[in-house]
Amino acid sequence: MVVLRAGLCPGLTEDMIQLLRANGIRTVVDFVSSDLEDVAQKCSLSYKALVAVRRVLLAQFSAFPANGADLYEELKSSTAILPTGSPSLDQLLDSGLYTGEVTELMGAPGSGKTQVCLGIAASVSLGLKQHVLFLDSTGGFTASRLYQMLRAQTENEEEQASQVLGRLRLCFVLQLEALQRVQVERVFNIYELLSALQELRDRLSQQVVSSMGPLKMVVLDSVSAVIYPLLGGRQSEGLALMMQLSRELKTLAREFSLAVVVTNQVTRDSSTGLLKPALGRSWSFVPSTRVLLESKESTWERASTQRAASLAKSPRQPTGTQVELDI
Amino acid sequence: MQREVGTLPLAPALRARLAAAGFQTAQELLDTGPCGLSKEIGISKEEALEALQVVRQECHGDAARTAGGSGATRKCTALELLEEEQTQGFIITFCSALDNILGGGVQLTKITEICGAPGVGKTQLCMQLAVDVQIPECFGGVAGEAVFIDTEGSFMVDRVVDIAAACVQHCHLIAEAQQEEEHGKALETFSLENILSHIYYFRCHDYTELLAQVYLLPEFLSQHSKVRLVVIDGIAFPFRHDFEDLSLRTRLLNGLAQQLIIIANDHKSAVVLTNQMTTRIGQSQSTLVPALGESWGHAATVRLIFHWDNGQRLATLYKSPSQKESTIAYHITSHGFRDVQPPAVTHSREGTELNPRKRPRTEEEKQ
Repeated sequence: MVVLRAGLCPGLTEDMIQLLRANGIRTVVDFVSSDLEDVAQKCSLSYKALVAVRRVLLAQFSAFPANGADLYEELKSSTAILPTGSPSLDQLLDSGLYTGEVTELMGAPGSGKTQVCLGIAASVSLGLKQHVLFLDSTGGFTASRLYQMLRAQTENEEEQASQVLGRLRLCFVLQLEALQRVQVERVFNIYELLSALQELRDRLSQQVVSSMGPLKMVVLDSVSAVIYPLLGGRQSEGLALMMQLSRELKTLAREFSLAVVVTNQVTRDSSTGLLKPALGRSWSFVPSTRVLLESKESTWERASTQRAASLAKSPRQPTGTQVELDI
Repeated sequence: MQREVGTLPLAPALRARLAAAGFQTAQELLDTGPCGLSKEIGISKEEALEALQVVRQECHGDAARTAGGSGATRKCTALELLEEEQTQGFIITFCSALDNILGGGVQLTKITEICGAPGVGKTQLCMQLAVDVQIPECFGGVAGEAVFIDTEGSFMVDRVVDIAAACVQHCHLIAEAQQEEEHGKALETFSLENILSHIYYFRCHDYTELLAQVYLLPEFLSQHSKVRLVVIDGIAFPFRHDFEDLSLRTRLLNGLAQQLIIIANDHKSAVVLTNQMTTRIGQSQSTLVPALGESWGHAATVRLIFHWDNGQRLATLYKSPSQKESTIAYHITSHGFRDVQPPAVTHSREGTELNPRKRPRTEEEKQ
């Protein structure tokens, strides 16, 4: 719904706009959907000029239909699959995280969502040498834990190196580089989050070569922490902001071929007492894949480190499959 | 700036009018100017000016960040964060087992939640921490001040005096054993009156006062920049009774949690909350779970659950971003929070086995 303004396209002058406005045509949509002969008569403008303007506006503002085959080719060449660093989770997700899609991890407090996110960030940054942007809204990001995971992963890979001292130094250098590739931003409120995403989009579209480098993954931990304070009540602006956010995330994922990982909470259903994902039905359409993490023992009296991950929604795999993770 | 109008922090009524008038990006708003804006949407010139100021501020914030300026942004690489974390101190609890499972003590910049049944020792730990945060750096502390927000009225000053006196005596013992100059200097300022005068106490009677206090805290903290600990004793109490609308409660609690994490992060202080327990009635049994519901469980970064076991007090680390889950036993003496000492008359354990959790008191402070 863009307002008609002089200079939007050649041929649209200020006088024309004033005349159109006097007759109730203010936006591009009004213009394009009105009967041009009628308008030419009422505003005493030339029909030819109006048709020319309409053609230019349509070319500027409408979407292009794409061929299915072209789309497939494009997807094949631009989508990448990022391994998560845990073979059982990869198996659950059909060999890894797909770029161009939003994946969601949900679970009760203490079920291991932040740990899985850190593991994925470590694996992408170390194994694939790609940059990762970690948006932290809960304060749960601990760099020392990420370092611990990186150390564990490099020790596994560098078993063939001959000299012991050389190997240690190489490991250390690799870990430092991997840490530098993970960029952490703390956002505690929905507007900060939206402006951070906007800034990321500006930077990527201008292709500014900074310390960012080739970004492949964006992790948002957690989305419910920023949206929960807005939902509910009589105002529906919380839902509107949530949809804005989902649109930003999806267009980022699709346009720049990023994999977006989001963590969500679970709430208790008041009627049945079962756990269900937070943020309601509207959010459930946003991620294309959903994984539920839960710990094996349900009470805190017998704590354990075993976790079960089950697939709750996926466009590729049958749901309901379960694997075990060890954190 | 291609920021969409929907993403700017303006009032919803204003946003609705802007959308109806056809404005899409922030750039268009800035181009129109206040007079044009007030004419188009039908608001007064002052409101239009205010709205444009907000927009300009947001866009300038964006521009500064893309240009590489630092400002007050919270962005850095993991490497820088690691270096920061390694130099950060912990607030010790005087119970070495608890410090061990927490990874060194209560961490700064994180929210720690302590849940437990009545009488298990949550307020005792809070008072201990309020004293411990003031230990000078040469003894292994963070040398900060404390803010204590009390909703239940369980803060007893006489008890704090006992705890503080024991702490001061402990530091004196270490100073005598080590005979270093800086210890002596630090001890001059670490006295009973000083400790008590650096604990800022607030009493809140219901949830509106609590919310107001938390929202006013950033201003208070910027005036008292040495505060390193904020304790809210009894966050469940004002929210549990007399609340008809549960969704409002969830929303308020989440907003509170976000505000607390902003405080913890910006002022580099630790936030400690205490919570109550409630019974969940399942199919066949009933279990004790922390109060305030599932969504509140996500607010705290670290969660400790205190419980009883045959007369012994136990602490379980239930949720932590960097430590494994484990359980230890602790003890509350007249000096405050302490480790469990093996009983003088060994009736249950083998006599010669040394309790692995016990460590001699004097070595505890050398961190």
